Amino acid sequence: MPELVAENIAKRLGGNEILRGVSLSLERGDILALLGPSGSGKTTLLRSVAGLERPDRGRITIGGKTVFDAEKDLEIPAERRGLGLVFQSYAIWPHRTVFENVAYGLKLRRMAGAEIKTKVDGILQRLGLGGMAARYPHQLSGGQQQRVALARALAYGPPVLLLDEPLSNLDAKLREEARHWIREIIKETNAGALYVTHDQTEALAIADRIMVLDQGIVQQEGNPEAIYARPASPFVAEFVGSNNRLPGTIAGSDGRRARLSGKAWSLWGELRAAKKIGDDALGVVRVERLRIANGPGENCLKMTLKSASYLGERWEYLFIADGLQLRLWGSEPLAPGEYWVAVPAEALWLF
Amino acid sequence: MKLSLPRLAVGAAVTAAVLAPLGLLVYQSFLSAPFFDRSAKLGLEAYEYVLTSPDFHRAFLSSFMVSFGMTAIALPLGSLLGFLVARTDLPGKKWLEPWLLVPVFLSPVVVAFGYVVAVGPVGFFSLWAKSLFGQVPWNLYTLAGVIVIAGLTHVPHVFIYVSAALRGLDPAVEEAARVTGAGPWKIAFTISLPLVKPAILFSGALVFLLGFELFGLPLVLGDPAGLLVLTTYLYKLTNLLGVPSYQLMAVVAVSIVAITFPLVYFQRRMIGAAARYAVIGGKGRAFRPLPLGALRWPMTAIVVLWLLSVVVLPLAGIALRSIVRNWGEGVVLSESLTLDHFRALLQYPNLVRGILNTLWIGAGGGALAVAVYALIALTAHRAKGLWPAWLDYLSLVPRALPGLVVGLAFFWLFLFFKPIAPLRTTLVSLWLAYSVVWFAYGLKLITATLMQVTPDLEDAARVTGAGPARVARDVTLPLIRFGLIGSWLLIFMMFVREYSTGVYLLGPGTEVIGSLIVALWGTGGLDLISALSVVEVVIVGAALLAALRLGVRLDA
Repeated sequence: MPELVAENIAKRLGGNEILRGVSLSLERGDILALLGPSGSGKTTLLRSVAGLERPDRGRITIGGKTVFDAEKDLEIPAERRGLGLVFQSYAIWPHRTVFENVAYGLKLRRMAGAEIKTKVDGILQRLGLGGMAARYPHQLSGGQQQRVALARALAYGPPVLLLDEPLSNLDAKLREEARHWIREIIKETNAGALYVTHDQTEALAIADRIMVLDQGIVQQEGNPEAIYARPASPFVAEFVGSNNRLPGTIAGSDGRRARLSGKAWSLWGELRAAKKIGDDALGVVRVERLRIANGPGENCLKMTLKSASYLGERWEYLFIADGLQLRLWGSEPLAPGEYWVAVPAEALWLF
Repeated sequence: MKLSLPRLAVGAAVTAAVLAPLGLLVYQSFLSAPFFDRSAKLGLEAYEYVLTSPDFHRAFLSSFMVSFGMTAIALPLGSLLGFLVARTDLPGKKWLEPWLLVPVFLSPVVVAFGYVVAVGPVGFFSLWAKSLFGQVPWNLYTLAGVIVIAGLTHVPHVFIYVSAALRGLDPAVEEAARVTGAGPWKIAFTISLPLVKPAILFSGALVFLLGFELFGLPLVLGDPAGLLVLTTYLYKLTNLLGVPSYQLMAVVAVSIVAITFPLVYFQRRMIGAAARYAVIGGKGRAFRPLPLGALRWPMTAIVVLWLLSVVVLPLAGIALRSIVRNWGEGVVLSESLTLDHFRALLQYPNLVRGILNTLWIGAGGGALAVAVYALIALTAHRAKGLWPAWLDYLSLVPRALPGLVVGLAFFWLFLFFKPIAPLRTTLVSLWLAYSVVWFAYGLKLITATLMQVTPDLEDAARVTGAGPARVARDVTLPLIRFGLIGSWLLIFMMFVREYSTGVYLLGPGTEVIGSLIVALWGTGGLDLISALSVVEVVIVGAALLAALRLGVRLDA
């Protein structure tokens, strides 16, 4: 049975529909990322689950117990839902030491002093905060504060852990490392985790499942591979990954494949939406799927190199042709001139 | 959030405390005799009497002229000061800034006596001027005198709002004007001040409102010339008629409120307008102040001159007066120095009690008031719905009620509402009246402090499992403890300098320095008044220094 179920959650705020009927379910040990741009409603959904926002419609069940039901006007307050929440701002209490911050939930649950000590020391040790127990938050680095926030949310063993962009305040370097250990720790606790982020790489690296939200609606739900390799909508295709856009018209079709034509070009692509010949369509292709070909061939375009930028581990080239502009990556500098750019038909999605 | 029992109880108590005095005043104003008199009948006789009285008309006109005149003085000067301090390289402004707010914490009645003994007909300064020019070139005891002094002493009320608004302005808008070629004055008048127009209008409305509530200044300065404004007319009404005429006093009080309440409401509406302007809010980044150039020193001179005239002059006058035996033409200062007046204070048990009571109501009463304000603010903290809105409107009522009027209403309540009557001669009655008078100010202090607590910190405790009361105890209150101490110091000063609220409640057991000074003024005991004033200024000064040391923001 899923540990957390939210059904048809809707919320309006001052005339804006923040959520328009979102449902999700989460098993223990499962990490579900809520991915979306700012304003997509992902944080509101998380705060609704936590009990910090009151949705207008819907039902939320935690561990089989209904904690919110708009129809029955039932709302269990946040403090009685027994969840763990890691805030984007960390929200660790500045007037309490690291130990007091982490021990707070256990104290509220009337655990004995000695037991609290063992438990808190254990979790601090596990998170690399051993020896920091007596410090105050302002004496910690950003990375350490972030771990205190996580330790505090995990201390009392909540069945569901909510994380609201927990890594967004870290430096790029720390953030990359954190992706690995944060997943490891959540997996260890066997809690179900709802992980809100706007960073696709983070979602892909940490989550077991990803739910892409936009304008209060679920755009697609699936495992990271499915989201990245088989996007169901142009929004998901463009929001995830680094992409080229090719607006054109459908000029022909042979079942699954269709021909997308622009002013002076024409390419085969994979049809991902119901389109007829003559319809306008948008082609999306990942930057990393484009290659430079040795010469003309199927699905190759002759283009002019407009500029090349050195990005460290690779080069990024910008090619132009009549009414078309494509970015692609390569490993060496290119001399100015004309080149053939290969677009694999299975990598060009037509919406 | 739903209505919980504690919220309901707090709500009922606050509503009663705030509305009861106003309700009693309005009720009394429609009676033909005191409300406890069996023969009292409902009617408009009292209104007819007051509203057709030429004295009332004169007092109303004077009040209006004072309000208008002082606003005309305080508004430009306060805006200028705000611009100079917030935006320019005025020399020594870091050092000057705390002093600019000092007039707010001085008792107007003490300041008024200060002016009497410094620049009154036989003041220290006046006699010196007379020896130079052959006569005193000014007359303090006129409407113009009241207006000028009220205007100068209310400059900080404008300064506070204008400088705060200017600080919220992105310096880039001024830098853009500079780069385009505008000098500091061009920038002030075409960019900065127009952008903070809502703050200027708001503070103008505030000063205009305070003009109608003015009591100490017109009482002291207007008295010798028989000049009455609405508040002093109310105060003198008993003497004028020879009999206590509650219904007439009530009508005058209601008339004052009828003027002030719309002003307060108007102001409340303006806050909304001001908030809409705040879109331009800057990030508070460091910026280079606008160079004043050649105007540096003339501007400094204006600021220093203003400070000398509203702080140094009256305080020096009252201090000097407290240590001379007597004063008049022909008295040689060096020969008449004495500490007798301070010794004399100790010989009057009521004065000694007054000083102790003042300290007690400031420290103990202030702490209790802060606790009550905090409790009230917490019930509305982060709450939505009717209660915070109701509280917001409720807090408008005390702002529209001058201390004198609240004191009068509470005096009646304690006199004739039997269950609480025994408390009238204790500090409880005074504390209740003070707490209601300073309700809006105190609530604003606490609310501003509460706003600084990031909601996440409280939400984190709730999610961890703490109920609302527990969150307040474990997170909110500990986080605002310095803010609470600061609020307590500010309330302490306000309670110590308070004088008008205690006027009617003054009796054995409820003496405080402020109301004693007002009472002594009736008997003309300048020696004791000046000594008492010095004691009060020393107490407030000590608290002010403590507040500055602790880094308490005075411009709340």
